[in-house]
Amino acid sequence: MARSARRSGYESLPGAAGLRAWARRHAFSLLSSLGSLTRQPIASSMTVIVLAVALTLPTALHVTIDNVERIGQGWERLDTLSVFLEPEISSDQAQRMTSRLTAWPEIAAVDPISPEAGLVELSGQLNLGDLGEQITDNPLPWVLEITPESEVVVATLASRLEREAGIDLVIVDLQWLERLDAILAVIQQLISLLAVLFAIGVAFIIANTIRMDIQNRREEIEVMALVGATAAFIRRPFLYSGLWYGLLGGFLAWLFIRIGLIVLSAPVARLSGSYHTDFQLFPPAPEVTALLIVGSGLFGILGSWLVVGQHLRKINP
Amino acid sequence: MISFEHVAKRYPGGIQALSDVNFSLGRGELAFLTGHSGAGKSTLLRLIALLERPSRGQVVFEGRNVGKLARRHIPYLRRRIGVIFQDHRLLSDKRVFDNVALPLMIAGLSYGEIRRRVRAALDKVGLLDKEKMFPPMLSGGEQQRVGIARAIITKPPLILADEPTGNLDPDMSADLMRYFLQLNELGVTVLIASHDLELIRQLGQRVLVLKGGEMVDDLPARARLAGEADGA
Ligand SMILES: Nc1ncnc2c1ncn2[C@@H]1O[C@H](COP(=O)(O)OP(=O)(O)O)[C@@H](O)[C@H]1O
Ligand SMILES: [Mg+2]
Repeated sequence: MARSARRSGYESLPGAAGLRAWARRHAFSLLSSLGSLTRQPIASSMTVIVLAVALTLPTALHVTIDNVERIGQGWERLDTLSVFLEPEISSDQAQRMTSRLTAWPEIAAVDPISPEAGLVELSGQLNLGDLGEQITDNPLPWVLEITPESEVVVATLASRLEREAGIDLVIVDLQWLERLDAILAVIQQLISLLAVLFAIGVAFIIANTIRMDIQNRREEIEVMALVGATAAFIRRPFLYSGLWYGLLGGFLAWLFIRIGLIVLSAPVARLSGSYHTDFQLFPPAPEVTALLIVGSGLFGILGSWLVVGQHLRKINP
Repeated sequence: MISFEHVAKRYPGGIQALSDVNFSLGRGELAFLTGHSGAGKSTLLRLIALLERPSRGQVVFEGRNVGKLARRHIPYLRRRIGVIFQDHRLLSDKRVFDNVALPLMIAGLSYGEIRRRVRAALDKVGLLDKEKMFPPMLSGGEQQRVGIARAIITKPPLILADEPTGNLDPDMSADLMRYFLQLNELGVTVLIASHDLELIRQLGQRVLVLKGGEMVDDLPARARLAGEADGA
């Protein structure tokens, strides 16, 4: 009574002995958390599956968009520039220009199309029959179909070509690609928002599961508190459980995605074959996989932290 | 060791469980706490182990006002008090061994040390051969003894027992009380809530009497085997 110390004096062991005790208490919590997961295999697996489904949705969307972007990049590479020469350019000049442009490092190939060949192609495309024989004065100029090297920025090359003498017009249809990029950016943004929502969902699903777990183990928690377990000690197995749920849910979501990609790979190969390309589906990047699994685990810890803390305040007045 | 100064406890429902309780229990003393059901015996014990906080007054344990103890220090207070409950509070899905070992696991002792001390404690309560059983397989008296083994395993300076003989037949009750007396002789402070007046009278120890939440009597210990009968 005379001693009115500010500190209570009830402290734990210091030093190396304290560290060993700390490690043992952690081992106990870890085993205890695994025990509670395996004690109710059906309830635990249901939680993990619900988590996996919740995590699969945004991840699958992300993978889809990622792949669509890759297809877009492939198309960009397939793009050629149509260079319309001035009408007075002769056959000889056109041939010389062809060989000169072929030497440019940005250009992979130049395919010259004569006005006659152009007319035949055009009449074929427009289904006009033998137009070439009816038109005596061919209005078409020489056209050079240019395939750029793969790493070249098409727009820069186009403006350079436009400044060349003898070139009338350079046509590059990149607008639809830009639009596609803009749409993908919007969807990507949407996925980020969804991911935040689903992460909160994950925390709540796990919180709810842990809450039921706590109900089932109410007795155990109370008894542990009664014989002097600290809040951290009581909380720890539940935090581990939350972590396990999160990690397993994230891993299962990743598995779902991989299985989905395998299932889709055959139809995608058929589709890309019909377009004479060898497009294939890409799995989520390692960063995305890591984010999925680790992030889900962390939200699992967060979720159980919330419920256990709430429950502990009732036992320790 | 323990002293109550003008302690009152009012539960949230408005029930006044204790009002103006004053008493003190010295280190190494043993006392019985009696009174009718609802007199406030359990509440008084709960205030010492800080399972409840007093509404008014001071509960002092080992020189500290436990009513004002910060929440994070509660576990360390409870490690210095062995509590035995009428309903045992054992974990039915854990073996006797693990039930008794729990306070030591919490303290983070090594497995070898835990094993040694648990077996010693089980030996003391005569249950060494039951260490692998689950509590529901045991009789009421055996479960009570498991609870006692768990309460004494950390060698706390204070033992609180809430109606430990509640479910036991008279012979077993007498055995159990004698065991508490033995513990007390080893220097442990013991406070036992019980309404088994006959048995308490036979033992001749100090008796605190609660009535309607007030401490109405404090009968000092009389010489063992004095044998005379006096009404409370
Ligand atoms: N947690 C509680 N909440 C509200 N009232 C309680 C609570 N615990 C006990 N009481 C009331 O306090 C009074 C004293 O109870 P208790 O201390 O358990 O008495 P005893 O152990 O002597 O039978 C009783 O009227 C009881 O109903
Ligand atoms: Mg009671």
